[in-house]
Amino acid sequence: MKHVAETELALYTSGDVSLWRRAVVRLHLSGCDSCRVRADEYRADQQALRSVGEDLPEDLDWDALSAEMTANIRVGLAAGECVAPRSRKEPRWSWRPVAVAVGVVALLAAGVTLNLQQHAQAPGLTPVEDRSPMVQVSESGIELRANGNSMGVSGAGAGRPVAVSASMQGTARARYVDDETSQVTITSVYSQ
Amino acid sequence: MKTKCIIPVVLLAAIAVSGQQLTHKVSLPKDSPVALISDDWGDSGVSRAFALELHVALSLRNTSSRRIHGITLTVVAQEMTAGGKASISVPSLNVAPGDNFSVRSDLHLLRPLGTGGPQVEVSLDGVLFDDLSFYGPDKLHSRRSMTVWELEARRDRKYFKALLETAGRDGLQKEMLDGLARQADRPQFGAQGVQIVRGRTTNIEPGREVQFAFLQLPDAPIEPTAGLARIAANEVRAPRLQVRNTSNRPIRHLEIGWIVKDQRGQEMVAASLPSDLALAPGASSQVLQEASMKFPQGTAIQSMSGFVSSVEFADGSFWIPSRTALGAANLRRVVAPSPEEERLLQIYRKKGIGGLVEELKKF
Repeated sequence: MKHVAETELALYTSGDVSLWRRAVVRLHLSGCDSCRVRADEYRADQQALRSVGEDLPEDLDWDALSAEMTANIRVGLAAGECVAPRSRKEPRWSWRPVAVAVGVVALLAAGVTLNLQQHAQAPGLTPVEDRSPMVQVSESGIELRANGNSMGVSGAGAGRPVAVSASMQGTARARYVDDETSQVTITSVYSQ
Repeated sequence: MKTKCIIPVVLLAAIAVSGQQLTHKVSLPKDSPVALISDDWGDSGVSRAFALELHVALSLRNTSSRRIHGITLTVVAQEMTAGGKASISVPSLNVAPGDNFSVRSDLHLLRPLGTGGPQVEVSLDGVLFDDLSFYGPDKLHSRRSMTVWELEARRDRKYFKALLETAGRDGLQKEMLDGLARQADRPQFGAQGVQIVRGRTTNIEPGREVQFAFLQLPDAPIEPTAGLARIAANEVRAPRLQVRNTSNRPIRHLEIGWIVKDQRGQEMVAASLPSDLALAPGASSQVLQEASMKFPQGTAIQSMSGFVSSVEFADGSFWIPSRTALGAANLRRVVAPSPEEERLLQIYRKKGIGGLVEELKKF
C-alpha cells in the first residue's frame, strides 16, 4: 500500500490541503492504521502548538514577519537561479522549485516560531545579544540559552523553586525542597 | 487566525526531529566514593515539536568509609548548549557508609532543527564528607559551594539547638513560624525574571553611574570600600568594587551579595558578585565583572547595596556571616535562608515540632 506523504499528512491535519486531496487522504486513513496514528500525533502536536501560539506577544508585527520571510524566499530563489546551469529550452513548470520553496518556508517559519516561543517564555525581556550565552532566573526556575538552544533544569518533581539566585559570572541556581522527604536539591546552569 | 497558518509549516519541520532518540548515560570514576545502584529515566524523550523532557532518578550508595554530607553531579547536554552545562547538587545529606540515597532532577531542552540526536551525560563533580574533605574533579567549583552550604547548615543547626535548650520547644516553634513568614514575604524574582549575559554589552545607551552602599558585617574579613555600576534603562552592567582584606590571613575568593531597590521601593538580592583574587592581609583590590544584568522592561533601579556573603582564605578555610550579623544588618528579610534551614522548615511543616527536635538530635 502506498502511504500518504508525511508533509501532506501534516497539512491534512491542519486543513491545508485541497478538497480533492482531502477526500483522497481521508479515504486512505480509513483503511490505514499507521497513517491514522500518525495523523492523530500531528493533531496532538497541532493542539500543543496552538496553546503556545496563544502566548505569543500581542504586539507582534505579522506583516513585517511575513515580508521578511517572503524576502528571504526570494533571495533564496534568486541565488538558486544564479548558480543554475543555463538552458536554451523553453521554461517548463516543475514541482521542484515549489518543493524547495515549501521547504524554505518550513525552515524559516520553524526558526521564527522557535524564537517566538523562547521570547514568549520571558515576555518583556529582550536579550542583550541573542547569540551570547545567557542565564535567566525567574520565579519558575532557571534556564541557559546559547545559539538558539535552551536548557532548563528543575529539581525533583514539577514544583516551583523555593529560591533562585544568579551570579555575574554566568551561573544561575534554583533550590527545590521535596515535599515528602524534605531533601533539598539545588540545580545550576552555567554559561561558561 | 494567523497563528493557525504557522502550525502546518512548523509541523513539517517537526517531522525532522520527531524521529530522534534521546540518548543518556551516567559516568562515575572507578575510585568514586559513590556507586550507581540504579538509574531511572522514566518517560524521558521528545515531548512535542522541538522540546525534550528528561526525568532522571539515580539511586546511589556511599561506598566510602565516611559520612557523605553533599554531592554534585554534572549534566552535559551535548549539541544543545555549546560549552554550557548544568549541575544537580544535594546538600544537607547525612549518608552513613554503605547506605543508599537518591538524586532526582528534571531537564527541559529546547532546540532548533539540527542533525543527530541529542545526548545527555551525567557525571560526578564532587562529594563532600562530614570532615569537610572533598572528592571529585571539581570542574564546577562545587567544593566551594558545598562547603559553604555545609558551614551554613552547621551554623543554623547549632543556633536551633541552642534555642531549644534556652527557650524550649515553644521558642523553637516561634522561630520556625517566623522563618515560614519570612519565606512567604521574601521578595522573589517575578515571572519575567532577570537575564545575565557575560562579556561586553552591545547596548549603546550611555546610562549613568550609580554607587553601591555597603552593609557592614562586624566580623567580615573583607571590607568593601567603594563600588559603582552603570545603569542604562532596565539594564545594569559592569559592576566594579574596591575591597580591602581586614583579616590577618590571605584571601583567594570572595562573594558579594548584590541588592537592588526598584522604583516601588522593593529590595531583592538580584545577583552575587564572585571573584577570584590573591589578597594579602591589609591589601586592597578591585572586583570587576564584565557582565550585564537585565531586568524586565519598565523596571527602574533606584539604588544598590552590597554585603560580603562568603570568603575563602588561601588555606582553604571559609568565613560566612553569623546569624546575628545577618539579623543586625537587616538582611534576613531579603537573603534566602540556608538550604539546611529550608530543609528544617519543611520537616517542621510536615512533622511538627516533635519531628524537628528528633531531626536536630541526629547531628
